[in-house]
Amino acid sequence: MTELKYVKAIKDGDFRGLPISRASTAVNMTGSWKFFRPHLVSKNSPCREACPLQIPIAAYLGRLAEGKPSAALALLREFNPMPAVTGRVCPNFCQNACNRMEFDEAVSVGELERYLGDLGLEQAPDPVTVNRTEKIAIIGAGPAGLSAATFLARRGFKITLFEQAPAAGGLLRYAIPAYRLPRAILNREIDNLLKSYQIDLKCECRIGPDETSQLATEYSRIIWAPGLQSSRLPAAWPRLPLIKGALEVLSAISRGADINGQRFLVVGGGNAALDTARSLRRLGKEVEIIYRRTLAEMPAYAAEIKQALAEGLVIHTEEVIENVKPLTTGLQLFIHKSRKINEQIGAGEFLRTATADCLIAAIGQESDLRFNEHNNFITAGDFAHGAASVAEALASGRRAAETVLQQLGILPVPENITPDLKSKSRIEYKQLQLDYYAKKPAVKMAELDSLSRKENFSEIHQTLSSEQMQIEIERCFHCGSCTACGICWFFCPDVAIALDREESDLESRVLFDYDHCKGCGQCAAICPRGVIEMEEDN
Amino acid sequence: MQKQAILLGSDAIANGVKLCRPAVISAYPITPQTHIIETLSEMVDRGELESQYIKVESEMSAIAAVLGSVSAGSRSFTASSSQGLAMMHEVLHWFAGARLPLVLVNANRALGAPWNIWSDQSDSFSQRDTGWLQIYCETSQEALDTIIIAYKASEQLMLPIMVMIDGFILSHTMERLLIPDQQLVDDYLPAYQAPYRLDPDDPLTFGAAAQPDLFYELKKTFSETMSEAPTVLKNCEADFRQAFARAYSPVMRCPEGDEKSDTAIICCGAMTGTARVAVADLNKRGLSTDLLKIRLLRPFPKDELCAVCRDKKRIIVLNRACSYGVGGTLSQEVRAALYHLEQRPLVNDVMISLGGKEVFPETIAAVIENREELSSVDCNWLK
Repeated sequence: MTELKYVKAIKDGDFRGLPISRASTAVNMTGSWKFFRPHLVSKNSPCREACPLQIPIAAYLGRLAEGKPSAALALLREFNPMPAVTGRVCPNFCQNACNRMEFDEAVSVGELERYLGDLGLEQAPDPVTVNRTEKIAIIGAGPAGLSAATFLARRGFKITLFEQAPAAGGLLRYAIPAYRLPRAILNREIDNLLKSYQIDLKCECRIGPDETSQLATEYSRIIWAPGLQSSRLPAAWPRLPLIKGALEVLSAISRGADINGQRFLVVGGGNAALDTARSLRRLGKEVEIIYRRTLAEMPAYAAEIKQALAEGLVIHTEEVIENVKPLTTGLQLFIHKSRKINEQIGAGEFLRTATADCLIAAIGQESDLRFNEHNNFITAGDFAHGAASVAEALASGRRAAETVLQQLGILPVPENITPDLKSKSRIEYKQLQLDYYAKKPAVKMAELDSLSRKENFSEIHQTLSSEQMQIEIERCFHCGSCTACGICWFFCPDVAIALDREESDLESRVLFDYDHCKGCGQCAAICPRGVIEMEEDN
Repeated sequence: MQKQAILLGSDAIANGVKLCRPAVISAYPITPQTHIIETLSEMVDRGELESQYIKVESEMSAIAAVLGSVSAGSRSFTASSSQGLAMMHEVLHWFAGARLPLVLVNANRALGAPWNIWSDQSDSFSQRDTGWLQIYCETSQEALDTIIIAYKASEQLMLPIMVMIDGFILSHTMERLLIPDQQLVDDYLPAYQAPYRLDPDDPLTFGAAAQPDLFYELKKTFSETMSEAPTVLKNCEADFRQAFARAYSPVMRCPEGDEKSDTAIICCGAMTGTARVAVADLNKRGLSTDLLKIRLLRPFPKDELCAVCRDKKRIIVLNRACSYGVGGTLSQEVRAALYHLEQRPLVNDVMISLGGKEVFPETIAAVIENREELSSVDCNWLK
């Protein structure tokens, strides 16, 4: 038998004669060969740019995807003080900008925000103690006032929040119906803010323009966020007790007051019209909507219109009520076809008359507060910018807080509490590397069916289960935000990439070993989120 | 106990691979090999085979992926054919040079141009200098068994082994098979214990730059290990025979041939089956002919071949691969090996088939019948 010298040597662990060495190649600084070097550059995701609150959606969802829900919630709260609320009532500007729309359909960001928001109901934010001597007054405890109070309290200010109603919340409490925003959720959200921050809430305390100078003696700054309390009525209509504004009716319903009458007509095409009509139907009333333009032109959120129609709500479109006459009981309404004259809608041919116990106008809101110029006059919310979404009101509250901080010299003037989006570029769909994603429809949340929901105020949508959240979070591309996914680490042919998954600075999670990186650019080409860029190496 | 089954050649191979429990499989589909990896992927999917199946975008990546997995100490498998094997070429050299064990199944197929998907051994013959062992199989049973033997030999030698089947002729035809019992295979082929592997706790540098003198020394050792390979393989084949009662050797005499004849046919692969029929008939007709099958092409078993050709006067080599400008590739190997015999036989180089050109028993019989007309210098192409 031949003696198997070399085979035996291998068996005995003798590496001599094999191309294996214990010497390290680390001394070979192959990084000197490179002309380009990779570096991490976070970019603005389109969802973030679309969000009134500029929430870093890709980043906080990245933390959620990494299995760090508390960290995700903390980041979300930095930008949005009321995620359980916006997760329910926001029309999700983010989803209409989502890059994933070009791939299959938008990520259900609203549902994911709501998931975290609900988690946050059980975890009040970390308490902040007062470390500023200046006192701030905020008029109106709606979303804008609560937001301004939160952002200032986080900076150590003592806030006094004046509210004319019996409880805080503004339109969240007295307009948005409970089937969209359950009061238990709202109460919890507000309680958490009041628990964690030094906010002294004074309810049933109406402050008008006349009190301004008196307040100014006690408070360094005053933020006015009183909202728009009264509904506008068409000029052509007579002023009659049975003609009401939508806000008045919604407020009465929210307070649990008796609503007289059986047959209602609501005029308008916005969310207030739908909220009023659907709430009244839940109280067993007969309700129809009259809207002067087409269904497609209704300014109400599309999802709300869809739900209302599913519940069997009748919406008469392209009709106007030209005149109203009081009857012994109820009203007689003269309904005309609408007619467009130079972009203005007027009354066209007469269609029919109708009778109703009550006519409700939901065509807009206004304020009856009138002010004179004042030094420390800062406004926020609908009062400042006109009726808008809850997210816009929260953002406006934050901007008011920023103004206070800037005026007091705490924040340099060009800076905001949150980082400026202008310093970064926006990441487009084309810049993503999507080979790592399979087409997958968005998770559909459970919804009460139209029959079982239309007679009560039970919340229509349910929050995602943790399993559903897991499925949906995997759909997010995290455009422009490093998630330390490790694909660059895997592909780097020079083992010149290390990951720090615990690093919260998104631009420091991938560590490049420039001594050995040859600048091949594979990491930049392969990054699913487009955050690795190559720059010339000098 | 061995289970009987009638299976496609591709499935026979997949079953052979499964019995060897590779921890990693990576391959890219190419006709006529695709069924092998498809069947394996289904086995992995069904949970019958516990293995990491790495999908890749090319054969280059397939061989590179298993280069990584074997470096990390995992028994691995890949398969390819024709253009796919050609694409692996660079890494084939690296695999052997790095002394990493692997079994690769190649379904022999022609290389273009012109485009052709049928049986032809040019693809693997043109890789014979890459440092891999090469074994050519005649039947699907032989292929199944050879995979098991090859893993054992490969891991002892720390050299990769390429196992060849003829595309379509074996891959796409059914055969009655004996499938070895898993426990017996586990006893024959214990789990791979890499003597060295990628390990962050015990860092090693693999295949880094070697200065000229060191490079020369390493290649000398490589060559010396290669010369030990036939012995290692024969030992593995002997152990296999003990366990499974089927015998294989680097050069095999076929019983259909006449051992005493001074004329012998040499071929390799599935064509041997056809040659058996032709030779049995020739001997019956009094045209005495011997038949030798070359199973091991690398390292070339010159001692074994010389031993059985010592008393031959004429060797007719049937080729299925061509080295253009020289002739049949197998003929060159045979000629070089027999050069050392004191009484060198005449070697007729016959190019009997390329690109799936059919070889019938009559085709081979006609070559023998007209052997006096064959050139003993130039390659003989069929008329």
